[in-house]
Amino acid sequence: MNLLSVQDLQTHFIFRDIDHQLREAKALNKVNLTLNSGQVLGIVGETGAGKSLTAQSICGLLRPPAKIVGGSVTFQGRELLTLSEDEINTIRGAEIAMVVQNPRSSLDPLTQIGAQLVRLHQTHTGGPLAGSRKKALDMMQAVGIPDPEGRFTAWPHELSGGMAQRVLIAMALINEPKLLIADEPTTGLDVTVQAQILDLLNELVARFDMGCMIITHDLGIVAHYCDQVAVMFAGEIVEQGPTREVFLTPAHPYTQQLLAATPERLQLGVKSQLGGQPPDLFNLPTGCLSQDRCTLATEKCGAPPPLIEISKGHLARCHFVKPAEKGRSKSNE
Amino acid sequence: MTGRSPSNLWTMARLGNRIRGISRLSPTATAGVIIILLFGVLALFSDMFMPHDPVSSFTDRILQPPSAQHWFGTDGNGMDVFSRVIYGAKFGFGIAIPAVIIAVLIGVPVGLIAGYRGGLLDEVLMRIFDGLRVFPSIILALAVVAATGQSLLNVVLVLGFLDSPVFARLVRSEVLALRSSIFVESAIAAGNPTWRILFLHLLPNSIQGAMAQTAVRAAWAVRISATLAFLGVGIQAPTPEWGAMIRQGAEFMVSGQWWVAIFPGIALILLVFGLNLFGDGIQDILDPRRRVSK
Repeated sequence: MNLLSVQDLQTHFIFRDIDHQLREAKALNKVNLTLNSGQVLGIVGETGAGKSLTAQSICGLLRPPAKIVGGSVTFQGRELLTLSEDEINTIRGAEIAMVVQNPRSSLDPLTQIGAQLVRLHQTHTGGPLAGSRKKALDMMQAVGIPDPEGRFTAWPHELSGGMAQRVLIAMALINEPKLLIADEPTTGLDVTVQAQILDLLNELVARFDMGCMIITHDLGIVAHYCDQVAVMFAGEIVEQGPTREVFLTPAHPYTQQLLAATPERLQLGVKSQLGGQPPDLFNLPTGCLSQDRCTLATEKCGAPPPLIEISKGHLARCHFVKPAEKGRSKSNE
Repeated sequence: MTGRSPSNLWTMARLGNRIRGISRLSPTATAGVIIILLFGVLALFSDMFMPHDPVSSFTDRILQPPSAQHWFGTDGNGMDVFSRVIYGAKFGFGIAIPAVIIAVLIGVPVGLIAGYRGGLLDEVLMRIFDGLRVFPSIILALAVVAATGQSLLNVVLVLGFLDSPVFARLVRSEVLALRSSIFVESAIAAGNPTWRILFLHLLPNSIQGAMAQTAVRAAWAVRISATLAFLGVGIQAPTPEWGAMIRQGAEFMVSGQWWVAIFPGIALILLVFGLNLFGDGIQDILDPRRRVSK
């Protein structure tokens, strides 16, 4: 059983515009993901591809006008989308934890960081206060905050960005979650700190045997830190697979274009920038969503592309992908 | 926290610095604090300062002008005006403080919930409070106290209730800005139930403006309660309340016995002035944009 399994998740923004016309932006279309304990999954894609929205949908953090209109999210065999607010509150922060970008504004400005850690532990785990305090200090130690005793009474504004991100990771991990979702955990941090934080995340994932989902724009981070990678485009996962395999033999044309557009390859003169625009979410094309900017597109792309398993655990959503081994194909071509 | 003496000394030194810093930052607030403290001491320890019983009459010394024996003179019942003015401070604080506390206890939670939930609930609550504010507060207070019965408790309750929209509005506007901030979203993502988000995260972050208003609203409560007593609603005549005393003295003003009304009037003005100074000063300190650069 997978730790987390997302099936055909669809999230739309449904609202009335100024003319009171009902409009629907199809922000997530058929997201399929799986994640196991001890794995790090990187989700990459351009801005607006739905990376953060996927994370928020999984945790039930959507606010109107965003609405989940279809699909399922199972976590440890339990369906999350039908849970009530009270039930999901016992999972959020306890079994599924999130680390977001902007670490400094994610902390309550009027509470000392030690107290924030203790509160969070009390909310989900409970027990005597002294135990929570000990746990908080242990976690601060574990995420590499120097002098945890001294920093226990520090205020959020006294922390640097890197320290604040460490505090957030400590807060995320204090209840020993099974799944950690890191939404651009290193945006706004310089490269040295970025490497420290990601090394730390990797180490903690191994130590606590969690599943970890890292959302990022940075393909370098994915190549370096993730076991699995999922490429998103226009609210779809177009390709998911083991990082090495996806990077060396990208199956989906969009992934190929994306990888070709990295600065290193540009310098080698291999390929140029990505052209075109993502499709209009209010008015999606029928069939393949990337047909407008795909060099391979033919008239058969007007039909929805099937999700094809190329090899074990490596899937892509494209008409032109051929399953390497016989059988196992979900294609209906 | 463990009480280590060096850290205690350090804290005290820091507190001293803080007080000095505030008094330099806002001389207005300091002046206000001094006036309020003065009246506070008078109210708390009035027995020590009153030369006579405020409600016993010297039947042989009716309407005497200020003298060495009766500093502020005597009123129409032969009661010592000085003692009565001092005793009146008890009513000033005794009405204003509970009224503001009630206003905060009603207004702040309503503002928190209305601001956080939004939508229809927000609309309904805010329209009810707007409705309260449409009526001139004196008229409404008069009507309610007259209808519910003449007692000090009723005056306090009515003033507290009438003043709660001020706090609700202030807190609501802060919460509206805070509810979509990242730390609140993080708190939701960490699995906090709504009441924890409201009272542990939003309340401390949104209460600042409301707290700065408490002194100004206390001044309002002192003024309105005195007005009610002057109009003969709530507190009745022989009680040494400033508004009631001014009313009693008013009829003697035309016949030249000015001291009966003037002295409680001065006390009333001073206390309201002090509270307002303090309130304004606090707002200046809390809002750097209002600070005058020197």
